[in-house]
Amino acid sequence: MRVQGPYRLPEDKERLRRRAARLEWISLGWMASIVVVVGLAMGSSQAMKAAWVEDLLSLVPPVAFLVASRFESRPPSERFPYGYRRAKGISFLIAAVALLVFGALLLADSLVALARGEHPTVGAIDVAGRTIWMGWLMAGALLYSVVPPMVLGRRKLLLASRLHDKTLHADASMNKADWLTGVAGIGGILGIGLGWWWADAVAAGIISLDILRDGVVNVRRVVEDLMDRRPQTVDGDEPHPVATRLRLELETLPWVRRAEVRLREDGQVLIGEAFLVVGDPGADLPARLARAGELARGVDWRVHEVVVTVVPDLPPPA
Amino acid sequence: MRVAPAAAGLFAMLALLACDLPRDPERTLERVRERGIRAGLADAPPWAMRRAGAPAGVEVELLEELARRLGTRVVWHPGGLEAHLAALHHRELDVVAGGLTSDTPWKKRVGLTRPYYSEELRFGAAPGTPPPTSLAGVRVAVRAGSAEAHLVRARDAVPWRVQSPRGHPLVAAAAWELAAWGHRPFGEPLHRREHVLAVAPGENGWLLRVEEALAGREERVRRRLGELAKP
Repeated sequence: MRVQGPYRLPEDKERLRRRAARLEWISLGWMASIVVVVGLAMGSSQAMKAAWVEDLLSLVPPVAFLVASRFESRPPSERFPYGYRRAKGISFLIAAVALLVFGALLLADSLVALARGEHPTVGAIDVAGRTIWMGWLMAGALLYSVVPPMVLGRRKLLLASRLHDKTLHADASMNKADWLTGVAGIGGILGIGLGWWWADAVAAGIISLDILRDGVVNVRRVVEDLMDRRPQTVDGDEPHPVATRLRLELETLPWVRRAEVRLREDGQVLIGEAFLVVGDPGADLPARLARAGELARGVDWRVHEVVVTVVPDLPPPA
Repeated sequence: MRVAPAAAGLFAMLALLACDLPRDPERTLERVRERGIRAGLADAPPWAMRRAGAPAGVEVELLEELARRLGTRVVWHPGGLEAHLAALHHRELDVVAGGLTSDTPWKKRVGLTRPYYSEELRFGAAPGTPPPTSLAGVRVAVRAGSAEAHLVRARDAVPWRVQSPRGHPLVAAAAWELAAWGHRPFGEPLHRREHVLAVAPGENGWLLRVEEALAGREERVRRRLGELAKP
């Protein structure tokens, strides 16, 4: 079988990728510390449990990114002639399903707590020889969990669109929305403090809805990716302009009468086919097609391999 | 960034509120001052019991002291532990004294304080009896009908179930009992029981007051246990 050529990121993008990997390592460290701090202070608050689960799940995208990065760079082989670039999509599918399931479970938990009228009990703890209400400590832990993800989320979002990396983008937008979790959690704890027993379950419900939404959005996104949807902009639903640019570029060739392309995203790179209607084939058609392929690869850093074929005719453009 | 002012605002709010939080959803703390503390009393010597008809025991004393601090009194309701905990769950009682420990299966349905006393179960040797080098096959006296026999067996010793282990050469009992009987503890502790009080669930202001009353009482509890163990 003919194995696809290896793909190498352009130098500047490779630098960005390394920076993204470093950010993801930092994320892992921060988020792990948050998981420990929030976990230690958790107590019996339902909202805090939900916040903790969300923090725990937010470890998954960085891990997926870092693990998949290892596989992604492997050159295609006889066994995997298209390479390993789907690794990221697959690891992200697992993460998204986990979000979906945990979000649903936590939502059910909070609704049951609300329906049963469960009054959360939050006791005391000794700090420096004084007995204080545990709720203060819990609110403090949640406050700590708010800031790092927001800072990291902003920086990752920037890199994600420049690298056109969807895993990174999803991770970043989850981080950015994480402040909601912390604030809802703190609201729940303060609510308990004010004697509103329902505040905790309501806050937990809000947090689980947020987790559930992350799950739904990401499952949809990653399934569409694995379904070979057309290339799209990383943060929107728009078709990516690269397909049009590629077609126009091919049509500038003097011997090409009309061109059409079919592209799909494979990880962050694009592969696909170009269909050309030619006037006079000429004697050196194979060489011309090879040059057309080269031309296609030069259009954008993400275009990796375009198989160029000649067709007798193309349907009129829609 | 919006984070810094938001955090500062939050802190200011916390500081303002900190004075009288947490509050009780059902106003238990205010109500115990008016109507007294409704306390369930389940027989569990030496933690909670009745002596000559009057409530007695370590937990009873702790709650009477709490009542004095709050300027109120305790209204005791003697009865079974299960019925008391069910009543506590529905906030028909404010607190239950019944020798509960932190791993009670009721912990999801009632509020528990932190442990006010950590009870160690240990092997003990009577005066003049040297502690054995190995426990394998050694006969150790335990109180009949208690869970101790199982723990002794788990250490390869042979439980000898007696009415009172007191005076037997080798025994397994709570550290405070060994001290009262003059037995010398030896070996690793067999088990640890963290003693707690159960309070009405979700009444966090009330719970905090109970916790404050229990804080730092461990030494006093140990002393009282010693006195109660002596006949």
